Amino acid sequence: MELSVASVVRELFNLNAKQMQWDVAACTDTGRLRPMNEDSYRISAEQNLFVLSDGLGGAAKGEVASAMAVEVVVASMREDASAAMPGEFVSRPELTKETNLLVRAVELANREIHEQGMREPACRGMGATIVAARICGRRLSLVHVGDSRAYLFRAGTLQQLTSDHSLVAEQVRHGLISHQQAAVSELQSVLTRALGTEQSVEVDAAEIELFPRDSLLLSSDGLTRMVPEDEIAEILTQAPGVGIAAERLVNRANECGGHDNITVVVIRIKKSFQEWFATFFPWCGANLV
Amino acid sequence: MPVLIVKFEGSVLQKVSINGGSITIGRGPDNSIPIDNLAVSNHHAEIRSEEGHLVIQDLDSLNGTFVNNQRVKRSALKHGDVVLIGKHSIQVDEKSQGESPAAVNRPSGSVSSGGVKVAPKVDETFILDTEKRRTMMREIAAAGERSQITSRVRVATLVRVKGPIEKAEYQLTGKLTVIGESEMATVRLRGWFKPKMAAQINRRDDGYYLGRGDRVPKVNGKPISSPTLLSDGDLIDVCGVRLRFTIPE
Repeated sequence: MELSVASVVRELFNLNAKQMQWDVAACTDTGRLRPMNEDSYRISAEQNLFVLSDGLGGAAKGEVASAMAVEVVVASMREDASAAMPGEFVSRPELTKETNLLVRAVELANREIHEQGMREPACRGMGATIVAARICGRRLSLVHVGDSRAYLFRAGTLQQLTSDHSLVAEQVRHGLISHQQAAVSELQSVLTRALGTEQSVEVDAAEIELFPRDSLLLSSDGLTRMVPEDEIAEILTQAPGVGIAAERLVNRANECGGHDNITVVVIRIKKSFQEWFATFFPWCGANLV
Repeated sequence: MPVLIVKFEGSVLQKVSINGGSITIGRGPDNSIPIDNLAVSNHHAEIRSEEGHLVIQDLDSLNGTFVNNQRVKRSALKHGDVVLIGKHSIQVDEKSQGESPAAVNRPSGSVSSGGVKVAPKVDETFILDTEKRRTMMREIAAAGERSQITSRVRVATLVRVKGPIEKAEYQLTGKLTVIGESEMATVRLRGWFKPKMAAQINRRDDGYYLGRGDRVPKVNGKPISSPTLLSDGDLIDVCGVRLRFTIPE
């Protein structure tokens, strides 16, 4: 088991501080049945960027694909945030520039994995899922492909921010089966989208506003298929810090069977200075929070 | 009780327990582990338990029997050894417990679920190629049209009934809709001392769920205790604002 904790504190005394301060911890484990860990994750503190990828076990070299996915996304975001978009990339007008960059980074990762698969016979047909989150000021940019998920834990409520690109999710969306039926379906492993399997991929993107004390959870399906959501919420409520939360989530997935590799990234938005201020001086702080 | 796990291209085909007797492997149907493959001889190999140890004996097969990639005539087997016969592998598991002596057969052929036919279930994740995916999506969409259940893919709307908010209608296209005073909130509350984030609506695969924020909203007059699945016509009350939730049938 691997555990990393990083913490960023910025502009503590700047009342107009726009960048949210956060704590993060990640934990990954092979699980109990699989011979190796094909999940990958990367945290880039200076970019406020968090990336998680699950290599597809059925395909050859899933671990290569997931490592490439997170590397390419982090590198392309670092490289040149202001570079002009390549010709074939069509930016979406409804999204901010930051989110468009993240979408482009994932499209690049798709292309590189696909090309590697064409070049190397051992890597033919390899694939991976991806979920990537970036915090810009108060805004969260979130993109994903496949069945790795992002959740927002806010006010004691766990909310799923991604829709799985899987056959069962598609069936639920069309009202053919229920949430509960989907959770026990035999077809859970069938994905409708993944990185690397085709030349281009459709990337889902979302933007939400963050508030102090929000927690964000990125996870591979090794967690979400093993541990029910109310237990995930309970662990996030009770854990005093992100490191303990991440570790407990992985341990719980193993206790529930650990059928697949498990990776979680837990990000907690810190209580802002303004909010502390408001606690003590509510009459003048109410509108600062 | 030792168990032999028969695999082909990564997926488990069969698990066979050895209960003192002997197990034969070959192409003929009279074998305990029949393998229908031309690379396998009619009676290819035999695994026996001799004085508590597993022993494999090659029965003069044409293409040979391999233990951990070494061709063998006769060899003792221990936990973790992998026997290769043709393209099938047999893994020796001596630590398995509680496995029933009867062979566990994986389903073969195609399984059907919700009118969709797919390859037999495997433990590994796999991806549909473009052609297969298009066909399946069409089938799912068609099945959704046929079924009596409301299709949840449609976008819901919040309609203002009363209260100080900017617009008369809000389309819930995002994954998360925030009702609050924050300038980024979808439904922006006006006035003094309104919470930044009073309540939130999460769009999930099976519908829209209303959850609390800094306030506990009411649905049809009742305060919610946990995230609540909204249905067409529900009235939401929060911070002096009343909204009607509508979703097209």
